Amino acid sequence: MHGDHAPATSAGPAGPAEPSASGQSSFDRVIAGDGRIEPRDEMPDDYRKSLIRQISQHAHSEIIGMQPEGNWITRAPSLHRKAILMAKVQDEAGHGLYLYSAAETLGASREDMMQALLAGKARYSSIFNYPTPTWADIGAIGWLVDGAAICNQVPLCRASYGPYARAMIRICKEESFHQRQGFEILLTLSRGTPAQHELAQEAVNRWYAPSLMMFGPPDADSPNSAKSMAWKIKRFSNDELRQRFVDMLVPQAQALGLTLPDPDLRWNAERGHYDFGELDWSEFKAVLAGQGQCNVQRVEHRRRAHTEGAWVREAAMAHAAKKAARQQQSARGAA
Amino acid sequence: MSRRPTTRRLPSASVVGALPADTDRDTLAAIGIGNPLVPMQEAPRVTATHPRVLAALGGSADPELRRVAVAAGNVVDPEIPVLTLADLGVLRRVYRPVEPDGKIVVALTPTYSGCPATATMAADVVRAAADLRSAVAVEFVLVPAWTTDDMSEQAGAALREFGIAPPGARPDPAGPIPLSLSVRCPHCDSRDTRRTSRFGSTSCKAMWACQQCSEPFEEFKVL
Amino acid sequence: MTPQLVSATAPNGADHAAVPSSRQADMADMADMAEYLLWLGDDALVSAQRLGEWITNAPELEEDVALGNIGLDQLGQARALLSYAGELLGRNEDELAYFRDDVDFRCTHLVSLPRGDFADAVVRLLLVGAYSEQLYAALTTSADERLAGIAAKAIKEVRYHVEHAAGWAVRLGDGTDESHRRMQDALNRAWPYLDELFDPHPLTDHLDGIAVDPATLKEPALQRITAVLDEATLTVPATQRVAGGGRDGRPSEHLGPMLAVMQVLARAHPGASW
Repeated sequence: MHGDHAPATSAGPAGPAEPSASGQSSFDRVIAGDGRIEPRDEMPDDYRKSLIRQISQHAHSEIIGMQPEGNWITRAPSLHRKAILMAKVQDEAGHGLYLYSAAETLGASREDMMQALLAGKARYSSIFNYPTPTWADIGAIGWLVDGAAICNQVPLCRASYGPYARAMIRICKEESFHQRQGFEILLTLSRGTPAQHELAQEAVNRWYAPSLMMFGPPDADSPNSAKSMAWKIKRFSNDELRQRFVDMLVPQAQALGLTLPDPDLRWNAERGHYDFGELDWSEFKAVLAGQGQCNVQRVEHRRRAHTEGAWVREAAMAHAAKKAARQQQSARGAA
Repeated sequence: MSRRPTTRRLPSASVVGALPADTDRDTLAAIGIGNPLVPMQEAPRVTATHPRVLAALGGSADPELRRVAVAAGNVVDPEIPVLTLADLGVLRRVYRPVEPDGKIVVALTPTYSGCPATATMAADVVRAAADLRSAVAVEFVLVPAWTTDDMSEQAGAALREFGIAPPGARPDPAGPIPLSLSVRCPHCDSRDTRRTSRFGSTSCKAMWACQQCSEPFEEFKVL
Repeated sequence: MTPQLVSATAPNGADHAAVPSSRQADMADMADMAEYLLWLGDDALVSAQRLGEWITNAPELEEDVALGNIGLDQLGQARALLSYAGELLGRNEDELAYFRDDVDFRCTHLVSLPRGDFADAVVRLLLVGAYSEQLYAALTTSADERLAGIAAKAIKEVRYHVEHAAGWAVRLGDGTDESHRRMQDALNRAWPYLDELFDPHPLTDHLDGIAVDPATLKEPALQRITAVLDEATLTVPATQRVAGGGRDGRPSEHLGPMLAVMQVLARAHPGASW
């Protein structure tokens, strides 16, 4: 899943100094030629910081995003669904780990990124501050939230930073499997008992607008977008991606037999796209500002797990040190 | 444990699908395989001469069986779509059941017990056969258990190309679990790599980092 | 949703028609076989359910992934076993998982103990894993081909799980004072429940050649466990065993609350598919 492209408050540690003049021009050449920047290449400090911000936000989103879905692992209504959900949440943890590693190739440290998240200073996708009170939310997250994430991520497969772009190619495949599973959950519910159909519709009603907001504020209000696009970290504007997403959703909603909660949604033959209604950005901003139903809870949960696990991590380090000392001693004894 | 022959046999399993059985074709078309915006990765085309397809047919010259076997062999792993079922080695048999009007049976073997992709593969096989106007039932066989040795060489190359280190050779099954001391970086081919986690995003993978080019990557674990 | 059915029969369709020599004996056999499959399937399912509680709560992200992986393997094993049991009983895996009460489950008490701390998880994974490793290894030669097939699949996965648990047991046992104390405490808590796994039972006599006498697994499993505990500088507890009864419909008092959570949604919509 992917961050909101929200302005970041934490950009991670400063990377090496600005590249030399020759480094800068080789960087510019690679970017202009649609090539890839690799970890050992010289790059402008701003580029590095911007990437660390984006990749770490993405990683945090994967990690926090485990919670709303993890909420249903123990209650999943069939063993098939339980297996899929466990696998999905595990996928997200795996993606998070992978992305932290990618950020580390830019000089960020996982410990610093984690601390920023635990301190409530790091951003993650606001969508995960919404609750999952019903099983249908698991379907809606898969279909809408993962669907929106994919629309955001597909262009990133061509991002200029190599490790990130390559990671995105594989992550997109896995996310697309998740979206399909979410769709299947909703389809089964929609065609199930009246009570199940109602659950599906109600979840779609709650998740539709927030998923559209995952693309970030309208282009006119998006401060970081322009630079990211110039550097080819980002390739499409927020509004372009949002339009793509809506165009994809409409036929799928019809196939589901569910309604998208937007009275202004209609086909515009002239544009060749669906028109859709204004989004309530005040809600988006409130959730972003920490007033979502679960903002406090999500970070608190992560903090608790981290604190409860401190003794385990300390023990692992202590054991590794003991082992190294023993090895050294036996090597000395042998010499 | 003393051995005693048993006569118990169970009816073979019937269709398994990740979608409701009555899902209509429009719906299936609407979702496609995965998200329509995600560019399809090119998996190598499987033909009737693919060793796994030939093995699945067991010498049968039945043209419909052959078409179904090729179609099933071309279905891809939903999470690693550069792997076809033929190259992954999960396509086991394609045959006509004893009952004269029964559906053609496609026998697959699961990779990991809990792998959620299994049901999706089965549904995609049913759909691929339906595209040829053949009705098939998917059956899962557990014997012999799948191992990473069942993957074709082509699968290894496709994985590497996709950025995943392919599984190494399988060790003696009676011996200890291998430590896989060194895995080649799929990006720069260096052997200077270190494992960062024995478990990865899916059960079949472990996580590594290359010390040479810094690339974090996954390894398809030996099973 | 169609449950996933698993067949280990040779896929040529020719040998499905074998007729049992005595129908009555076979019926009794079937009931015994189903009961045995519930032993194994319920142990796996309940273990997986407990591991599912760990996800998002593990001490580090790598462990969220690892425990999820392991739980998923166990869940896969449970599904293969319960589907098989279900075919013999005329029920599907979900009816068995979601619409049986605690007294109808056949899992041992050890797997249903509350989640506890990470030391509890490691100890349980080690103890149950060492038992399962022996169990599935023996079952690969079961005269029941389908069970042998499930075991052949499971054994490869379980070996990874035990390796993982052993690694943590050593790191934590031989780590800090606190981790050593927590591991020893967790071991002391779990140990009284270990014997139940190896209790002999008339059922496995009825299924001679198909099932494994649990008592025969005890020595090799204990060898594996004590070797790990030695390396981990932990002491084998001298505690008395507690009465079991899980195999005979006397579940631990922790199973009920666990099932209440697991089954709540399925039972709220009886007859629905998901």
